[in-house]
Amino acid sequence: MGSEMEPLLLAWSYFRRRKFQLCADLCTQMLEKSPYDQAAWILKARALTEMVYIDEIDVDQEGIAEMMLDENAIAQVPRPGTSLKLPGTNQTGGPSQAVRPITQAGRPITGFLRPSTQSGRPGTMEQAIRTPRTAYTARPITSSSGRFVRLGTASMLTSPDGPFINLSRLNLTKYSQKPKLAKALFEYIFHHENDVKTIHLEDVVLHLGIYPFLLRNKNHIEKNALDLAALSTEHSQYKDWWWKVQIGKCYYRLGMYREAEKQFKSALKQQEMVDTFLYLAKVYVSLDQPVTALNLFKQGLDKFPGEVTLLCGIARIYEEMNNMSSAAEYYKEVLKQDNTHVEAIACIGSNHFYSDQPEIALRFYRRLLQMGIYNGQLFNNLGLCCFYAQQYDMTLTSFERALSLAENEEEAADVWYNLGHVAVGIGDTSLAHQCFRLALVNNNNHAEAYNNLAVLEMRKGHVEQARALLQTASSLAPHMYEPHFNFATISDKIGDLQRSYVAAQKSEAAFPDHVDTQHLIKQLRQHFAML
Amino acid sequence: MVKAGKNTVSNNSDMAELKSMFREVLPKQGPLFVEDITTMVLCKPKLLPLKSLTLEKLEKMHQAAQNTIHQQEMAEKDQRQITH
Repeated sequence: MGSEMEPLLLAWSYFRRRKFQLCADLCTQMLEKSPYDQAAWILKARALTEMVYIDEIDVDQEGIAEMMLDENAIAQVPRPGTSLKLPGTNQTGGPSQAVRPITQAGRPITGFLRPSTQSGRPGTMEQAIRTPRTAYTARPITSSSGRFVRLGTASMLTSPDGPFINLSRLNLTKYSQKPKLAKALFEYIFHHENDVKTIHLEDVVLHLGIYPFLLRNKNHIEKNALDLAALSTEHSQYKDWWWKVQIGKCYYRLGMYREAEKQFKSALKQQEMVDTFLYLAKVYVSLDQPVTALNLFKQGLDKFPGEVTLLCGIARIYEEMNNMSSAAEYYKEVLKQDNTHVEAIACIGSNHFYSDQPEIALRFYRRLLQMGIYNGQLFNNLGLCCFYAQQYDMTLTSFERALSLAENEEEAADVWYNLGHVAVGIGDTSLAHQCFRLALVNNNNHAEAYNNLAVLEMRKGHVEQARALLQTASSLAPHMYEPHFNFATISDKIGDLQRSYVAAQKSEAAFPDHVDTQHLIKQLRQHFAML
Repeated sequence: MVKAGKNTVSNNSDMAELKSMFREVLPKQGPLFVEDITTMVLCKPKLLPLKSLTLEKLEKMHQAAQNTIHQQEMAEKDQRQITH
């Protein structure tokens, strides 16, 4: 049956049914027969694009190089509440650090992971390279290397006759005359080709570790896409907003944020689109201007009232700025428009959990389960909510599911860690001990597990072991106050006042409002004054 | 977190009468002493963040790509061993 069908129609059918590999293969056969078949060519380009298509709005993976060498922020010492870099300055409405764990960058952990907000910026190069689990930042060196390079290499390896379109031989001017072809070609270059051309160079440079050179090297990557977009927009006499947005996207990837801003603004003047608002807001976030981004989103909401992505954008920015109450408000607004919005449900749920309302959090997570989300993280959260909401019958089964669904060892480690808490809660210290040990077996850098193990060891009276564990914990995660504080307490007890004081000061730096630390420091100061 | 405190309640005027018989004492007045004992802090339970669809797709593609590369490398290695 299939062989009798017109091949182009069949290819189209494959494409519509999202069987992109089959579609591309069929197009290849057609192109072998008639190399100038434009329909097959465009279809193949689109199929290959769709295979690796990722929503550009969501993707904003900052590499270490971008992060450390970022000079785009306008103010190096911004005023409180106007920057994403100083999350601690604007803590309103959120639970304190004593209740809600924080990431390496000092933000409360979020209920939802997006590529763009995996964490804030670490302060030093050392912190950036070392990636403790609490921060969830296994970062690539630069955004143009990492994931995209891998994707590019793989796509190159899978096609034995070399790439589908040889970009260096392409006469871009010719293609820019044909708007329909040009758009497909652009998407192909932008999404699929990405950085195939420069990949070898990049790999070499990666090993040398020369970051600035890498950044310059990126210029090659999007040059083709940018050239094509520039030619096309010229051809359309600067009247096509789509091309302007694409140019803006290219500039954004090249890190030329001001130029990108110009393009997006010009596109918005021609045609107001939700996407353009989102891209422009992304530019402002990269420039560390969250307030401008918020205003922009609100402008967008005037034009598109109740648009979920815009509302969600506002909520994300508030969350990044540590303004949890406003974030929750906007997430609720999102749910009014779209009651199956996973991100909003997850964020509100985690907010409730950490503001001492596990029963309500449980309802939100159950809703997610009803919606068909089925993964280890969700079951882990359900288990925790069940335990703290005193629905003990469901707790252990949820954790069992979470363990069986965990995709990697780090996830399993987190589940074991949380199970340890349940064991502590029911007073079974030996089980708790085993759970935390298992967390460490799965992930040897689990700082929280080290800390909690130390507390358990201390209860047994093993001071030396507890001290060693605490030292490990504090070196793994210097941003957490618990290991520092515990170390200070132990040292104080055994009379090592100097060490106690040093650790207490570290604890105070990590969590200035911690009352017990303040007491301890006061006590120690009195001791020293007496000497 | 509520600190586990030790409450010591004393009421001197009743003490003499109560010495002979042991009855519970529920004093209505008198000084109240609370001793704060610093305890060690546990790290808090951690809700795991859910992953966005884009992130999941990225990770899946990344994994697939790495597998392809790995297979390719293994194949090359095998070939090299055969030729040697």
